[in-house]
Amino acid sequence: MASIALSRVTKSYGGQSVINGVDLDIHDGEFLTLVGPSGCGKSTTLRIIAGLETQTAGDVSIDGSLVNETRPSLRDLAMVFQSYALYPHLTVRQNLITPLRLRDLNFWERFPLLGHLVPSRRAKMAQIEKEVQLVSETLKIEPLLARKPGQLSGGQRQRVALGRAMVRNPAAFLMDEPLSNLDASLRVHMRAELSALHKKLKTTFVYVTHDQAEALTMSDRIAVMMDGDLLQLGSPEEVYQNPQDIRVAEFIGSPKMNILPGYCDELGNITCAGFSLDGTLEIPSPGPVSVGFRPEHLTLTEPNADQSLAGKLTYKENLGSDVFFHITQEGIEGSIIIRAQPLISTPQQPGDIIHCTPVPGKPLVFGPDGQRLDFKALAQSGTSS
Amino acid sequence: MGRSKAHYWFVGPAILLMLLLLIAPVVVAAALSMTDYSLGNSGFNWIGWENYEKLFTRRSYSKMFTASLTYVLLVVPISVALGLGSALLISSLRIGGELYKAIFFLPVMATLLAMAIVWEFALNPIVGVVNDILRSGCDKSVIYGFLSGSWLGYDPLESWYGSACEKKFPLWLGDRKYALGTIAFIGIWQAFGFNMVLYLAGLTSVPRELYQAAQMDGADSAWERFKLVTWPMLGPTHVFVITISSIRSFQVFDTVEALTEGGPSKSTYVMIYAMFEKGVRQNLLGMGSAITIVFLIFVLILTLVQVYFVNRKVHY
Ligand SMILES: Nc1ncnc2c1ncn2[C@@H]1O[C@H](COP(=O)(O)OP(=O)(O)OP(=O)(O)O)[C@@H](O)[C@H]1O
Ligand SMILES: [Mg+2]
Repeated sequence: MASIALSRVTKSYGGQSVINGVDLDIHDGEFLTLVGPSGCGKSTTLRIIAGLETQTAGDVSIDGSLVNETRPSLRDLAMVFQSYALYPHLTVRQNLITPLRLRDLNFWERFPLLGHLVPSRRAKMAQIEKEVQLVSETLKIEPLLARKPGQLSGGQRQRVALGRAMVRNPAAFLMDEPLSNLDASLRVHMRAELSALHKKLKTTFVYVTHDQAEALTMSDRIAVMMDGDLLQLGSPEEVYQNPQDIRVAEFIGSPKMNILPGYCDELGNITCAGFSLDGTLEIPSPGPVSVGFRPEHLTLTEPNADQSLAGKLTYKENLGSDVFFHITQEGIEGSIIIRAQPLISTPQQPGDIIHCTPVPGKPLVFGPDGQRLDFKALAQSGTSS
Repeated sequence: MGRSKAHYWFVGPAILLMLLLLIAPVVVAAALSMTDYSLGNSGFNWIGWENYEKLFTRRSYSKMFTASLTYVLLVVPISVALGLGSALLISSLRIGGELYKAIFFLPVMATLLAMAIVWEFALNPIVGVVNDILRSGCDKSVIYGFLSGSWLGYDPLESWYGSACEKKFPLWLGDRKYALGTIAFIGIWQAFGFNMVLYLAGLTSVPRELYQAAQMDGADSAWERFKLVTWPMLGPTHVFVITISSIRSFQVFDTVEALTEGGPSKSTYVMIYAMFEKGVRQNLLGMGSAITIVFLIFVLILTLVQVYFVNRKVHY
């Protein structure tokens, strides 16, 4: 178990900066997810923590001690790679033994053939076998021990890769998109298993993914990265409900948050898509703003309700548990998505004009620079109007 | 359903061409090897296994097998090891790798016959640059001391270099003791660049993540990572490189023809050269065919060994 801290870490490849000063404190025993779109520098950050890549500037420390100069193997971390990176010529058992063999046996005990003559080797190998046995029981891969990675399914390989990371009892696990090669249903299943494993091992997990659903379901905290910057760090609820940056708001949540252009007057009142929001900005910033509504924060209303947003239904997406209405409005590019319960949403057909109204207090307002602005809803009177 | 004969028309041309161009010559050679046929003669006699009997009893042919096998056993391991070593070094370079690749590959692209003439001049015992350089070291005490081993306290005259300085430097291609070694050296010089390129291609197909996994697992030294990742992952490349090198070494001909003509005293009398001498120069087609058939059997064995390894061991 370990805490990991990055302070002002930067990385550039030949003058091209890919990580611009990341500060990150990972607590002991937490499940932290680094999430962001492809190419934002997640893997690079993880590899810097692992020591496989050296940062251009900044410090990495593990459990309070600086590890900038420490070799990967001495950092006591284990990594699960996206491609699993199992040794294809070794059996599953040998794959699991390898990290222990390299750590516990000395040069002579590892020597091909002659190593078997070194007396101390036997006891150590017995110990190693025991640990491998234990891990393969935990992961239920005992029947696979004699096979080679080429003879395993994707999910089984994933388990073996996890096992190879687990045998050493590392201080923290680093995982780089370990589920992205699996099919959808297995991914959901492994999500639950990884969470359970984390609860059981109580070890620090640093998990990289570009899938915001994985991030939201498994993590204690989420770190959202974009273009080499760490934009927000917080619990899944906080990142979802309180995004501090418009890019975070758009990235987290599926379907995407609706962003509409709005206008703020001197008093902080905001108008957007033909109606005014029932609230004001704490600090008025007159000029154009962006207003974000999550699909579930828009509700369908009667045509003549005041303060409603009207648009033409272009597409009705029925997922069974939810129905998403895609509507377009003149002057707004893209479509606005509304989520509704299937029970109350039957009659509308594509082409119809649909009206909706935001759930009071839920709209998020962002300034022209993408930063979140403090929007206060008129909570007391909001419902009465 | 009517029986169509279309399938014969589809496979027919391919089978016909294969029979005509690949199988027939071998069958003809096999038949000829049982005769005493010479080109121009109107007839021939069936002499059964006589050619083969000669092949395995006469001294000049046992010299032929010795020369060919020695050549292969010298060239294959050394050129494969050098090819692997240089590929590893080049792939670890950050800059300049392309230059080294081009330089080492140069002998492969050059015509061996033209290069052989250059080597002939270089190795000339009197005016050749090789002996010139060696001779020039004799009166420089540092070089002399180092090469003759006298700096380690040995008697300089006991060593190869010391005694050569006293007497004379080898004739290389003209000396029975050195000729095959010299030919093999040229073969290695020529072949290792090719092996290097094959290994470089093999190295690029080793996933980088495997090295990183090895690093995380505690394979700290380059040697550990080589043992754990590089060597096993190059398995298919090893098999291919060794087979190709062996077959190419068995086929050595142009250097022998240009530099030694099989001599001195048949020390470089390799198989293809013998085939050429018997079958073409001396017009003993029967004998030449017998050597050809034995040669084909060698190559066939090598290929079967390769197929075995490809199927069994090295594919994961
Ligand atoms: N060795 C390298 N040389 C140059 N640029 C690199 C190198 N490795 C990564 N990059 C660049 O760094 C940026 C971040 O790469 P990184 O692999 O960290 O992305 P990522 O967030 O993991 O993306 P993905 O989700 O696609 O894996 C990318 O723009 C990439 O092009
Ligand atoms: Mg990545």
